[in-house]
Amino acid sequence: MSLQPFAAPPRRAPVALTVALTASVVLVLGACAPGASPSASGQPSASAAPPSTAASGSPSATADGASGSASPSAEASEAPTGSIILYTSVPQTTVDPVLVAFGEAHPDVTVELFRAPTGELSARIAADLRDQGRAGGDILWLTDPLSVQAYAEDGMLRSWSPRNAADLDPAYVNDTFWGTRVLNMLIVRGTDVEPTPTSWEDLTDPAFAESVAIPNPAFAGSAFGALGYFAQTSEYGLDFYRRLKDNGAIQLNAPDEVTTGVAEGRFKVGMTLDFSARSAAEKGSPVELVWPEPGAIAMYGPIGVVEATENAGASEAFVEFVLSQDGQEAIAGSGWEPVREGAGGPEPGGEQVRPDWAEAFGRQEELLEEYATIFGG
Amino acid sequence: MAEVRGARVAATTLALAAAAAVIGLPVLRLAATAMEHGPTALVGALGGPLAARAVANSLWTAAAIAALAVAAGTAAALVTERVAGGGRRWLRAGMLVPLLIPPFVLALGWTRAFGPRGYLDQAVGVELPGLYGPLGIVLVVAVAAAPVAYLIVAAALASRVEPDLERAARMSGAGRLTVLRTVTLPLLRPALLGATVVAFIFGLNAFGVPAVLGAPAAFGTITTRLYQDLAFSASDAAFERATALATSLVVVAVVVVGAADALLGGRRAARTGLPAGGGGGQAGRLGVAILAVAIVVVTALPALALLATAVTRAVGLPPVPANWTLDNFGEALDVRTVGAIGRSLLLSSAAATIVLGLAALVLAGVRRGPGRLAGTAVTLGFAVPGSALAIAVLLAWGGVLRDTLAIILVAYVAKFWALGHRQLAGSVDALPADLVRAARASGARPLVVLRTITLPILRPSILAAWFLVVISGLHELTMSSLLYGPGTSTLAVAVINVQQLGDPTVTASLAVLLTALVALPALPLLWLGRARAIGSAGAAG
Repeated sequence: MSLQPFAAPPRRAPVALTVALTASVVLVLGACAPGASPSASGQPSASAAPPSTAASGSPSATADGASGSASPSAEASEAPTGSIILYTSVPQTTVDPVLVAFGEAHPDVTVELFRAPTGELSARIAADLRDQGRAGGDILWLTDPLSVQAYAEDGMLRSWSPRNAADLDPAYVNDTFWGTRVLNMLIVRGTDVEPTPTSWEDLTDPAFAESVAIPNPAFAGSAFGALGYFAQTSEYGLDFYRRLKDNGAIQLNAPDEVTTGVAEGRFKVGMTLDFSARSAAEKGSPVELVWPEPGAIAMYGPIGVVEATENAGASEAFVEFVLSQDGQEAIAGSGWEPVREGAGGPEPGGEQVRPDWAEAFGRQEELLEEYATIFGG
Repeated sequence: MAEVRGARVAATTLALAAAAAVIGLPVLRLAATAMEHGPTALVGALGGPLAARAVANSLWTAAAIAALAVAAGTAAALVTERVAGGGRRWLRAGMLVPLLIPPFVLALGWTRAFGPRGYLDQAVGVELPGLYGPLGIVLVVAVAAAPVAYLIVAAALASRVEPDLERAARMSGAGRLTVLRTVTLPLLRPALLGATVVAFIFGLNAFGVPAVLGAPAAFGTITTRLYQDLAFSASDAAFERATALATSLVVVAVVVVGAADALLGGRRAARTGLPAGGGGGQAGRLGVAILAVAIVVVTALPALALLATAVTRAVGLPPVPANWTLDNFGEALDVRTVGAIGRSLLLSSAAATIVLGLAALVLAGVRRGPGRLAGTAVTLGFAVPGSALAIAVLLAWGGVLRDTLAIILVAYVAKFWALGHRQLAGSVDALPADLVRAARASGARPLVVLRTITLPILRPSILAAWFLVVISGLHELTMSSLLYGPGTSTLAVAVINVQQLGDPTVTASLAVLLTALVALPALPLLWLGRARAIGSAGAAG
């Protein structure tokens, strides 16, 4: 549709070149098709909507009391319809199976997707607010609880109660947003690394001098969550980061870069997310997860409905679906720890500790500035 | 003549109007956002120690990148245009290969090839010290920028510098170095200055490379600081800081580009005599050998390392046949990628065509005053980092164009206009004015002159400029990932989706596919195009 303004073909030389380029696309795609099919990495196409392995529930699963998203108790005429826009920073491989499963449960709702990394998504929302006074999406499904708190504080999010939120762990329940999946910051080690670290404190041990990698809290929200936890816990404090620095720890950007650095042998150990380390290990990289004492730093990816939405019914139905048994199974099937018990997926390998997000949110600038005096920017 | 003058004024007016719409308005909206809460926010944003250090880091690395890229590009141009014999085509193609590789991918290739635990380190225990840090940033961005500098200098050498002057100097007994110092380089001065400006802005603007290589050394630049502020832009303070940093980049660009354009002035030179080249001697052969080795080391080895990474089952495993697989290529693609590639090709070629039309307007317009202004203004779009330019375009045009391909097109035109303009400007400068005058004096109307004289001579440059913009559009990641809407996702969205999964073997696979996508049709065309460029330049002379 929006292709229309460009339907006029470019001038002479461009046409020939476009044809040449297009031809090579076909060649390239054709060449790698044999590699594509056997890999089957669980990436269904949202449009083709195959019965994916992740969405293990049959259509009848929507009658499941726990899922409740089809709201069997509500009047049938109230079934949500129409179109909603989903703004998300959740990885594509997780969004896809959830959209497929949602499409089966709510065939009358069209979900349009805008997916971008946290930085780009926040910038888009900031521009949206200045341009049209509201976020462009109806639903915000984000990666770390920090930005969602800023939006909640600004009154951007709708206050309501998902019918199926009551049986979730209260740690994941708020007035305007809810946890959807659990991210665990833990230790990744090279398989041949001796000794095996057992606690966060071990990262400051001389045995790992010059060979520890950590993600940058100014770059990744999950790394900020870890910073918040250590800053708030008296036996660590920001002094923990000073001792890491004194031990020669190196700061990378994203947790994935830490996993890669350890897999390549550039570092012996590092601080990363369980999903990242687990995926690498499952593919055959020489790394292992360590669930450190006193616990992995657990945080959650939140979801909420935008106050200004014009289709609250469908938006709320989507959120309830994500929190439902079916939605949680789809999330768990893509490799993340779900917030709902019994949905399958990876289980915690030990204790979990949590940062106080409300407190960390208030100290965002201060914490990042103090961190920067230690590791630089 | 009044008729021609009127047409020139109209062309300049049109070009200025377009520049105001796609560049001026968005940049002003950006600056206004930075000043939303008065100038204190702006001062606060730029006054902090981190931001001050980022500005300083950006300035000195961009200067070093410009110096290195122009030196390398000029040396390579002297070899391919003045010395090399048979291998000339291969060397030319080799010099342009980095254009086909997105910079962040080049950085990934360098770390895999020369970094700690890279392939060289694993094979012979040698790593490049300082790759993670300012040295690596300068080296890799300079490699990425060198082809652009090379194109500008080589075009000037092929058509602007007068080979007869060089020959005369040689015959009068001047040594090669003396000729280079007293004849060739002074004649190249405008091209060198132009190449320096483009390479400087290229360095100022780099994001992917400093993001990958700077973090371990805690080396931040304006663009990486800006990205970090954007990541926290749910907070108003951080968002304003990001827009303030972007505005500071615009100011730096205005100062640098404006000064350079003022220096460049309107000098013209017409070439006499046939193109030089084919000469050699021992020094020449040494130059060819050095250039060939340099191309292999800075481009081919990292590209091979990337390929090795792409076919290895998992990161951290040695790239031996037992670990080879094609699975990563499958993970790198999904069904949506195909549609996205189509849209990206459409957008890039539409942007390239529009950019060339606009560049032609500027060049056909009046030379002084407003014409100079238009030439400088188009460079601003290139100077603003993609993420900030995308926000600026969304602020200025989101109301009417939100979620359409047109808004991405506006951003592409704003960003890449400068590339097309600078590339074409060099060749238009070198147009033999006597030919045009002769045709006009013989009674040819302006359009006939354009069709029979100007366009045929410029054809290779137009083709090169068009390609440069198409490739830049295909490699562009940030802008379209911020501007796309339902149904208008581009290749960038697919690339970022894959990149964010954080598996370097899959990212490398996608990078290999992307490079192949551009390289397969581009290499033969560039090769033929350059050959014809020399042919037609020779004929024109």
